[in-house]
Amino acid sequence: MTADALIALLPIMVVAGAAIVVMLAIAVRRNYRLTVILTLLGLVTALATLPLAAERAPLAATELMRIDRYALFFIGLVLATGVAVTLLCYDYFAKREEQKEEIYILLLTTLLGGAVLAASSHFASFFLGLETLSVSLFAMIAYPIKERLPLEAGIKYMTLSGAASAFLLFGMALIYAEVGVLSFAELGRLSATADFQPSVLIGIVMIIVGLGFKLSLVPFHLWTPDVYQGAPAPVTALLSTVSKSAIFALLLRYFVVSGSYSYESLSAVLTFIAVASILVGNLLALLQDNVKRILAYSSIAHLGYVVVALITGRVLGSAFAVEAVAFYLVAYVVSTLGAFGVVAVLSVGGDEAETLAAYQGLFWRNPGLASIFTASLLSLAGIPLTVGFVGKFYVFSSGVNADLWLLVWTVVIGSGVGLYYYLRIVLAMMKSADGVATAAVPAAPAPLVGCLTLTVLVALLLWLGVYPGAFMEMLQSLSKTLS
Amino acid sequence: MELFLFYLSAGICAVSTAMVITGVNALHSLLYLIVSLLAAAFIFYLLGAYFAALLEVIIYAGAIMVLFVFVVMMLNLGRQTIEQEKSWLNAKMWIGPSLLAALLLLELGYLFAQGQGTAIGQQVSAKQVGIALFGPYLLAVELASMLLLAGLVGAYHLGRPLERP
Repeated sequence: MTADALIALLPIMVVAGAAIVVMLAIAVRRNYRLTVILTLLGLVTALATLPLAAERAPLAATELMRIDRYALFFIGLVLATGVAVTLLCYDYFAKREEQKEEIYILLLTTLLGGAVLAASSHFASFFLGLETLSVSLFAMIAYPIKERLPLEAGIKYMTLSGAASAFLLFGMALIYAEVGVLSFAELGRLSATADFQPSVLIGIVMIIVGLGFKLSLVPFHLWTPDVYQGAPAPVTALLSTVSKSAIFALLLRYFVVSGSYSYESLSAVLTFIAVASILVGNLLALLQDNVKRILAYSSIAHLGYVVVALITGRVLGSAFAVEAVAFYLVAYVVSTLGAFGVVAVLSVGGDEAETLAAYQGLFWRNPGLASIFTASLLSLAGIPLTVGFVGKFYVFSSGVNADLWLLVWTVVIGSGVGLYYYLRIVLAMMKSADGVATAAVPAAPAPLVGCLTLTVLVALLLWLGVYPGAFMEMLQSLSKTLS
Repeated sequence: MELFLFYLSAGICAVSTAMVITGVNALHSLLYLIVSLLAAAFIFYLLGAYFAALLEVIIYAGAIMVLFVFVVMMLNLGRQTIEQEKSWLNAKMWIGPSLLAALLLLELGYLFAQGQGTAIGQQVSAKQVGIALFGPYLLAVELASMLLLAGLVGAYHLGRPLERP
């Protein structure tokens, strides 16, 4: 490995190093604040090395990883999300467990897995990154071991995740048995010259099944509401943002680089998944009274929208798909972090603030948090002036340009239904504060760190919504680097 | 003939794995799991991956599974469990895994009797495995170590004894 490759890998290596440093620091002396500071320091250092790596890009660091601007963008997204989640965890876990430092090691290894996924161009690094991500998440979901729901959620996620990994491995094995290569680029080169139809196609479908589980797309979504509800709120934020965006980045790279767009029947499979995810996610969210479950179903629907953008890449070319997917994922990550961040901040004092009743009259009790929550929900619903609107516009226009009217109509119907349940939460917050509300949530002082993080997130959400031009240009230039 | 050997050991692998997941008794399942891993090792051997077969036997079937069996048995200390352990030793318990393992042994004996250590695929030596691991797959080795770290930290946290209030 050359020195250039090592420098290009710096962001990933710094995160891995940070995990080890944090572990050793905990082994020497348990100090909650020091652990958090070390974690943040590691993440910020890793973010600071991104420009260094970008100078070397594009570059293949062995066959396993390809550091190009596409990869660096998603690594940046994963790490920035990590910073936000660390800050949200700080208040949330401060008063809870008696051994709460380890969650930051697991957080760092989760981010490491996500970063590896964003850069991997080979089945081996793909699988290792995915497992690092999932294994860390099992433990994070079940972190409050004295409580029942998190443990149940952790076991559910672990069992189903294991089954999904088995599908994934079987798919990879089928492709390898037929083509004899493991790197995406080689696979693309070979399948352009020869026809490997049946087994490669079955392999790809099995990979989609495995990833569909992790992305909670519809036929594989059954675990989502339970796990989202059971996991501690900051971990839910991590689960719904980092793992989804990193895995989708990998899926898109796989589709573009390995030439999977050339299989026509694959579009039909993905269309079914997208339509089912959007409809099922939005319709089931209507029936829920638990904010975490509503957000879980809404995330199923959102991933359906991203799949729409993925499908259109077949007609419109990969560059536009990359741009649309990347923008939508950023919009989704920012809005979801905002929404789950509010849940986390409100849950600091005691039990999880997850029932709709707990939010009743929030506007009168805590106008700041309520406005932040409203902004995030409106962004998830895709209301203009928020980043969610621009993301949805991307999906919509790519569907129209590609003449995929079934998908366009599904997106329209889904967005319409979605508005209803997002506004239901907003309405609950506006109701008068008498009676239930004060009893349901103890009036804890809102923690400073969490509130500051949320303010920054909302500023970003509005800024990207009002003035997305510069960001779109950046995405346009990076979308051409993936090939 | 090699194909027949392959299908036989693949069949043993599938049957014993099915017994693992349908078994009610943990120890019974573990015995079948060991057989399943041995069958997988035999398939590796047939394919010419001697080193992988060796590791499969030494690490999975040998170290990890035997450790599991020991832990399961050690957890059941005390007088009343002696009866239980006696019941584990009846024929119904060990005859299935033993038969399957004996079949695998016969297959291995046949291969040795042939004298050439025949393989269906290409022979891969330990040296080649090492060169691949620390050459093109160096990052995979490092990543696997981080994966193990995550698993270890998670297991430590989740498995730590709860303080009684």
